[in-house]
Amino acid sequence: MLDLKTKLQNEMTRLLNENLVDVFIAFKKEDSPLRPQPAFFRNTKELAQLEYNGLCQNNLANYLPKYSQETRIGMVVRGCESRSVNALIIEKQHPRQNLYLVGIPCSGIIDLKKIINSVGEEVTSFEEDEDIVSVVHKGQEIKFNRRELLHDSCLNCVYPNPVNADVMLTEPLPEGDPSIVREKVESFQELSRSERYEWFRHEAERCIRCYACREACPMCYCSECFVDHATPRWSESTVSPAGKHAWHIIRAFHQTGRCTSCGACERACPMDIKMTYLTDKLNFDMYENYEFVPGMDEKTQPPFASFNMDDKKRFVL
Amino acid sequence: METNPKIILFQCQWCLYSEPDQQWVDHELPPFIHLVKTPCTGRINPLYILNAIQGGADGIIISGCLPEKCHFKEGNLSAFRQMDEFVNFLDHIGYEKSRVRFIWIDLQDRGRIQREISDFLTQISILGKANTLTTRIEVAAGGLNA
Amino acid sequence: MYIIQNNKLKQTLIDWSAKFDVFAPQQVENYSQYQPINPEKELILSDIHNTRFPPKAFFLPQSEVMLKFNAKLNKLEDYIPKPKPRILFGIRPCDAKAIILLDTVFCTEEYHDPYWKNKRDATIIIGMGCNDPCQTCFCTTVGGSPFNHDGLDALITEVDGALFVETFNEKANELFYSFSKATKEQEKHVHLIQKSTKSGMNKAFETKGLKQNLDQIFESEYWTQISESCLGCGVCTFLCPTCFCFDIVDEIYRNQRVRNWDTCMFRVYSQEASGHNPRPTRKERTRQRLMHKFSYWLDHVGEIGCTGCGRCVRYCPVGLDIRAMLSASYEAESEVVNV
Repeated sequence: MLDLKTKLQNEMTRLLNENLVDVFIAFKKEDSPLRPQPAFFRNTKELAQLEYNGLCQNNLANYLPKYSQETRIGMVVRGCESRSVNALIIEKQHPRQNLYLVGIPCSGIIDLKKIINSVGEEVTSFEEDEDIVSVVHKGQEIKFNRRELLHDSCLNCVYPNPVNADVMLTEPLPEGDPSIVREKVESFQELSRSERYEWFRHEAERCIRCYACREACPMCYCSECFVDHATPRWSESTVSPAGKHAWHIIRAFHQTGRCTSCGACERACPMDIKMTYLTDKLNFDMYENYEFVPGMDEKTQPPFASFNMDDKKRFVL
Repeated sequence: METNPKIILFQCQWCLYSEPDQQWVDHELPPFIHLVKTPCTGRINPLYILNAIQGGADGIIISGCLPEKCHFKEGNLSAFRQMDEFVNFLDHIGYEKSRVRFIWIDLQDRGRIQREISDFLTQISILGKANTLTTRIEVAAGGLNA
Repeated sequence: MYIIQNNKLKQTLIDWSAKFDVFAPQQVENYSQYQPINPEKELILSDIHNTRFPPKAFFLPQSEVMLKFNAKLNKLEDYIPKPKPRILFGIRPCDAKAIILLDTVFCTEEYHDPYWKNKRDATIIIGMGCNDPCQTCFCTTVGGSPFNHDGLDALITEVDGALFVETFNEKANELFYSFSKATKEQEKHVHLIQKSTKSGMNKAFETKGLKQNLDQIFESEYWTQISESCLGCGVCTFLCPTCFCFDIVDEIYRNQRVRNWDTCMFRVYSQEASGHNPRPTRKERTRQRLMHKFSYWLDHVGEIGCTGCGRCVRYCPVGLDIRAMLSASYEAESEVVNV
């Protein structure tokens, strides 16, 4: 990882020195332990703050819609992030020619919550290599297999390699098996109907409508979210079960054909709510029914944006 | 079921071309079937379906025109993929797929809507009252969240 | 000072629940949360962290019914419930101090919010001191301490498996009078531990001159820099024990007028009916949050509006740390204003 950070720093230095980008989005060193932050580099002096490791848990594509179309943006992208970038390009959120993407094939994002649940909250340092993660908690060193700490979305990852990078910093990694997602979805469907509903209800119950999931998601950039729409008011903001269910269901549904399963929503949630089981199902259906994977290129429209006359044969009349 | 089911009928305003059929829907629908007329099935947002379910709908029928016969050319087509996926999605979290029926009515097919409704009511009576996602209950006054 | 043995605590709480609704932190998923006491569940009192969800919800619920109406019958009904007497057990001094700060908003001399007041009057607050403050806690920096008394009717300090209880008023005395009293020796020992824990905490940022500095750099580019990564979600505000902003909505479906928590971090919070928004971008909103807590609160009531609980630091999705932001603000260039 150290070598990777150096490569990234060199590339960023080149881009900034040659004025090829107006801003480069990457990560910077933590202010509080184990929390590297998204950062926006505009000159090479700031590069001393650069950080890149498995704890960089945010999807940087989230920041793209916030810039004007003319801004020349450089970004470091991993697999799912690069597909989010494509999905945003398809929706005209930023022109491809004003993007410079530095690709890093991703070996998975560490789920900080897994570390904390395992050892406790006072972790003061973190080190990793390809296979082992070691943390220090209250003066004691504890080692983990890197894979056991990966975020659940990363365990199901099929496309770790950036699909649209201008330059790749390391060798591509082997792609995952799409059947992993099928297994996950089907094993959930094997539960009885009331068990499935109980799982959904139990997860949604903790929701505090902070909308961290929405803000962390690169595809949620609507200037007015459906929950804020007041005339007429379709969705109540009361933290009742009805309100929370509607929030989770509709937000997930609005991601159909757009979600790249990055898991940023789950990592952002302060109440540890699981929600990727919802988007996994939607993504799976898009793959099964329309052979569509979001963000693989910057042209193909998602299924909901089009219709094929062959479709009608599949549906109940 | 002892009590009548609560059914919502989303009807595209063009799909019942025949006068008798439209008259029947406007005036002779059983009182437990609530009619929501839309200019096109393309107008139906999944959120409306969810609102109906949360309000306690035991069944939902959406009736629209045949694919090539939409008054707005392609309105019903854009709705279709979404409605189909939404219903699958709700089934995934526990609201039975068969409680939502989507029908495309051929303009020549007189009496279709009555037949469908009658068949649907039979099906719903087998399924019983909906017991998932029907959550619009009062906020406990002064209650703590979560 | 009274003593309760650790293994007698649960029974005490269960005994109290004959007359009171007793709430204490218990396990929910991987964290602790205030819930009615359940004999089957373990109490989580000396966890290194306080609960994720703040106890302000006991006085200002996230959703609260204010009125009930019936549009068809043209009827209106005030809804100001008086809750059953209750005990909030195991609250941390930072959260308790926050409730005192919120009293300056909801329960002043001239005006009090009846919804708040009824709940406040019905609640006894028993605190649990922090023996092992965590790395994100900074109560001492903002005028508090891990064993502060503000807002508490009684404070418990755990020492060697025994709970030492200091009571501060009659309400608390009535609850504890039947317990054995600590010796003078034990009292001294407990106070020593409290003092040394407090002095063991580091200062996170300088508060002397902080307000003046923040006021001076109001127009600075500094705010653009630090707000760039902020997502504008509601995590810091909803989990904050001193944040109190709310939005009142008429929910027609429910025939109710409901008061919900709102957050200045959302764009729509300051959106006006004309369409104008005085805080149009992330910069103004992030600046607002810091200025409100560390400058405007001082203007209004003379106290910093933050009690150093650290939740905003731990749960910010992008790792923003308010302590670092405030420390760095001293280096920000202030704008020269031409008078």
